Amino acid sequence: MTKWAIVADLRRCTGCQTCTAACRHANATLPGVQYRKVLDVEVGSYPEVQRVFVPVGCMHCDEPPCRDVCPTTATKKRADGIVTIDYDLCIGCGYCIVACPYQARYKVSKAEFAFGHNPTSSETQRYDKRLLGVAQKCTFCSDRVDEGLAQGLTPGVDPRATPACVNACIADALYFGNTDDAGSNVSQLLDGNKSFRMHEELGTGPNIHYLWDEES
Amino acid sequence: MTVPPSDKRIPTYCYQCVAGPDLLTVKVSDGVATEVEPNFAAAGIHPGDGKVCVKAFGLIQKVYSPYRVLTPMKRTNPNKGKGEDPGFVPISWDEAMSTIAEKLAEVRVKGLTDESGFPRVAASFGGAGTPTQYMGTLPAFLSAWGPIDFSFGSGQGVKCTHSEHLYGEFWHRGYVVTPDTPRTNFIISCGSNIEASGGVCGVHRHAEARVRGTKRVQVEPHLSITGACSAEWLPIKPKTDAAFLFSLIATLLHEVPRQRLDLPFLRDRTSSPYLVGPQGYYLRDADTAKVLMWDTVSGRAVPHDMPGAVPALEGTFPIDGAIELGADDERWEHGRVEGVTAFTKLVEHMREFSADWAEGVCDIPAKRIRNVASEYLEAACVGQSIEIEGKTLPYRPVAVTLGKTVNNGWGGAECCWARTMLAVLVGALEVPGGTIGTTIRINKPSGNRLESVVPGPDGLMAYPFNPTDRENWVKDPNMRNAYRTLVPLVGNSSWSPALGPTHFAFMFLDDPPEHMPRGTFPDVLFVYRTNPVLSFWDVDKVGGAFARFPFSVCFAYTYDETNHYADILLPDRTDLEGLQLIRVGGTKFQEVYWDSTGFALRQPVVAARGEARDFTDIATELAARTGLLEKYNAAINRGAAGLPFSGKNYDFRLPVDRQNSVEEIWDAACRAASAELTEGRESQGLDWWQEHGFRTKPFSVLNWFLTPTMEAKGLRYELPYQERLTRIGRQLANRLKEQGITWWDRQLEEYRPLPHWGDFPKIWEQQLIEVGGKPEDFPFWVVTSRSMQYAWGSNAHIPLMREVAGNIKGHDAVVMNRQAAEKLGLEDGDRIEVRSMVNKTTGRVLLREGIRPDTILMTAQFDHWVTPVAKEFDVASMNKLTAMSITLTDATGSAADLARVAIRKIGGRR
Repeated sequence: MTKWAIVADLRRCTGCQTCTAACRHANATLPGVQYRKVLDVEVGSYPEVQRVFVPVGCMHCDEPPCRDVCPTTATKKRADGIVTIDYDLCIGCGYCIVACPYQARYKVSKAEFAFGHNPTSSETQRYDKRLLGVAQKCTFCSDRVDEGLAQGLTPGVDPRATPACVNACIADALYFGNTDDAGSNVSQLLDGNKSFRMHEELGTGPNIHYLWDEES
Repeated sequence: MTVPPSDKRIPTYCYQCVAGPDLLTVKVSDGVATEVEPNFAAAGIHPGDGKVCVKAFGLIQKVYSPYRVLTPMKRTNPNKGKGEDPGFVPISWDEAMSTIAEKLAEVRVKGLTDESGFPRVAASFGGAGTPTQYMGTLPAFLSAWGPIDFSFGSGQGVKCTHSEHLYGEFWHRGYVVTPDTPRTNFIISCGSNIEASGGVCGVHRHAEARVRGTKRVQVEPHLSITGACSAEWLPIKPKTDAAFLFSLIATLLHEVPRQRLDLPFLRDRTSSPYLVGPQGYYLRDADTAKVLMWDTVSGRAVPHDMPGAVPALEGTFPIDGAIELGADDERWEHGRVEGVTAFTKLVEHMREFSADWAEGVCDIPAKRIRNVASEYLEAACVGQSIEIEGKTLPYRPVAVTLGKTVNNGWGGAECCWARTMLAVLVGALEVPGGTIGTTIRINKPSGNRLESVVPGPDGLMAYPFNPTDRENWVKDPNMRNAYRTLVPLVGNSSWSPALGPTHFAFMFLDDPPEHMPRGTFPDVLFVYRTNPVLSFWDVDKVGGAFARFPFSVCFAYTYDETNHYADILLPDRTDLEGLQLIRVGGTKFQEVYWDSTGFALRQPVVAARGEARDFTDIATELAARTGLLEKYNAAINRGAAGLPFSGKNYDFRLPVDRQNSVEEIWDAACRAASAELTEGRESQGLDWWQEHGFRTKPFSVLNWFLTPTMEAKGLRYELPYQERLTRIGRQLANRLKEQGITWWDRQLEEYRPLPHWGDFPKIWEQQLIEVGGKPEDFPFWVVTSRSMQYAWGSNAHIPLMREVAGNIKGHDAVVMNRQAAEKLGLEDGDRIEVRSMVNKTTGRVLLREGIRPDTILMTAQFDHWVTPVAKEFDVASMNKLTAMSITLTDATGSAADLARVAIRKIGGRR
């Protein structure tokens, strides 16, 4: 079996947002639509303060609340765990956006570009109007994963089969792989380190795992 | 995503910041750049595995920005001022170049220097040397031209780690100093924001180190990005870092057994055993003037180079007959005299700087200071060794790093000394795991630190000081910032004028201090990849100067605050449009030390927009129109394009009597690079490099460490005692006194054998009083912090950077301690005015816990008023608030990036 997941090592992440920018490039999202981003979190009171950078995005949950509330079945879960949105079925009702406890979904009704109303040549080249008025979110770069697998590549190992955010991370804080494979990179990281998942108590079964060597 | 047939990925490099270059590929679809990716082919070669940081992802928007200047422009409004519309109108390249050439021709007729002896042509380049990686062959034109004044700064001194540049290079060829991060286990980081300013290599290496178990203690007034990624944060009072570091030294010297220090290193690799006489200079043999040490084998004083001698590290010894040589003609002849080792002088000097004392100065509990000292010593592994490439070297995995503001201005020298001494005490200087330098800019050859280690006087390294002796002191400044006259340590390399004091070039235009010549306005000023009217200190003053430059030429990407005052704008091709080969690898700035060395090509990923021209073509045209073509081409052939075009077994030199095309020039460079990397066996040209992007060969890791070279050459580090600097400083004092100059007296106090605690924060209070203020009216310190998304990038006009930087707190507001804000009745998001004695700025306040109550933070540098996109930010900048002041300038010519300020609420939340 395959269950794709991301492991984010919070000991490594510096909040540089290279993953955010790489995701914006790879998915040609409109300004402000960040399938992947890094939060800047402060905990404690002066002078005993900690500041932590936390990469977030769609958790590709085992039991995705977004799927459950979708009235058109546009949101589905693939056999390999990736949560997808069928833009042809999505009516943009936004239920899924409200239901997602991770605030991972976006909806853009009117296109605005980097410099305003008029797209640059690059934006014109990549503008996908299917994304207007529908829910959108991280896909784990499923097109790269699928095409990489078709070419015999290993997602999470071969860059051409790996999500753009993982490829771009300059701190090697992001890993992608199959948690159902005990020998995979992500399984080994989870075996060898303390980890947690965000809002695990909600029972959604999120598939971004955070490595952290202190009490969460 | 599979690349469709019409798509291709083109390799190139990014050197927007000093921590580069990094390698990338750009996906191009139907001639349009669409996506930046790492260069996966560089995995295992580039220390960050061929990745680029967030800034590189902005380059596509940079190409396609609608705000670009796409044709040469000329000013039509002769009145220059902040409120004046320049009235730029498009002109042809021919008109632009004719106008410039005409001005330059006038200069050559009048003479290259003016009646004050200053060059009539000046240039201001920013970005810590990175513009060179984008300006093609312009350096060849500058070389062919003759004297050019580089002293009009854009942030040098106040925005860099200036003290480290000078003292680091002096003590251990460390213009830039870093841990040996791949091996270090414990780092004391005083304000170093390496996670924001260390680029891909720095971020990657420190992440690896953290996971490996390296502990970093971050010492700074606010919890920066780097503080966030550290194990411990010590919120120190601003500008007291020297006291903290002094107390660590005092703890090691007075509270732990001496045997735990690296005594052999101190004895054999430093000047610690040198005997100091009653006048404070070294005792020397009366006949040979060689410095004396006490030999424990023979029980007598011997010259420092006596074979077989085992010098005493500590103690006071009776000497029969010796001399001391002081400043100028000072000479003391002693009969029987007591000699004290430099190390003993150090021990006594540091006694007063205990952790208990430092607690009262730094606001850090003495217990935590002692803990840091203890952990440092424990982690130093004194006595252990490591094998690298078959060679056994000392292993001392501890380091101390210093950030901007700690490392410039008053107290910077003391911090640098203390940092270096902390390394020296445990033998961790320039050895695996320890504190190392990565580049040099004052010594030669600039490309090889190890070869720059040349024996100097007294068994120490030579250093190219600007002379201060009576015969050779440069009384009349040759450039407008008087660097050779006032700053011996800055030397006279090609980088020295721009190392400062660059603010003096602006200050002396109107208000030269007594007995200094008034600065003159250069006839022609070139500006590239910098925006000093925004990025320097007291920016309104800088703007006022730019308004009076008679003729300035700005290479312009968009309109900005500096080219607002220009006469001619020239559009050069951007990062993804131009062509240039550069060296990569080896050891460079920041944490850019590789185990390979070679070259990378920046190439046109897409066709240039508008009439933007490649910089090399612009330089060639300038050379041709000014009659300098032959000299220009000869300079290129010699190496002005980054490498010599001929060498052993190869010769790709270009004809010197014609205008070679940009492709011809870089094809020759590529062939020379191929030959250099293969000892002449191969000669692949531009086509090969365009396809492959980069090529390297192995570079021994042993080259990262200076100590083995010092050992091989029998040299000692000039630490702890600063006899040579003291002499040079006292001579400088004599020279200035002879001229009647007294306004540099405080700076002259920095020249002393052992540094002292000068109550550095108080200097800012004194300066306030000098200009008519009351310290109690300005109760806060404002500091700044680098931003990974913006540092050195000249990229505030790129919307993607603004968007992603918004995820990191502090990019759109003034950060303030929550409790301190509540006392002022401020709530999150309130609009505030921040005022210094210089000026005021406004912005929103962001309340956080990770900052001292007496400190506020203004990240990066914004407050644009012309630059498109950025002028809409409405973010405060401290550059309006910092004073250009001799009082605030240290002996190296730098000042720290902080100011005393007052805060008041001027509006409610949004």
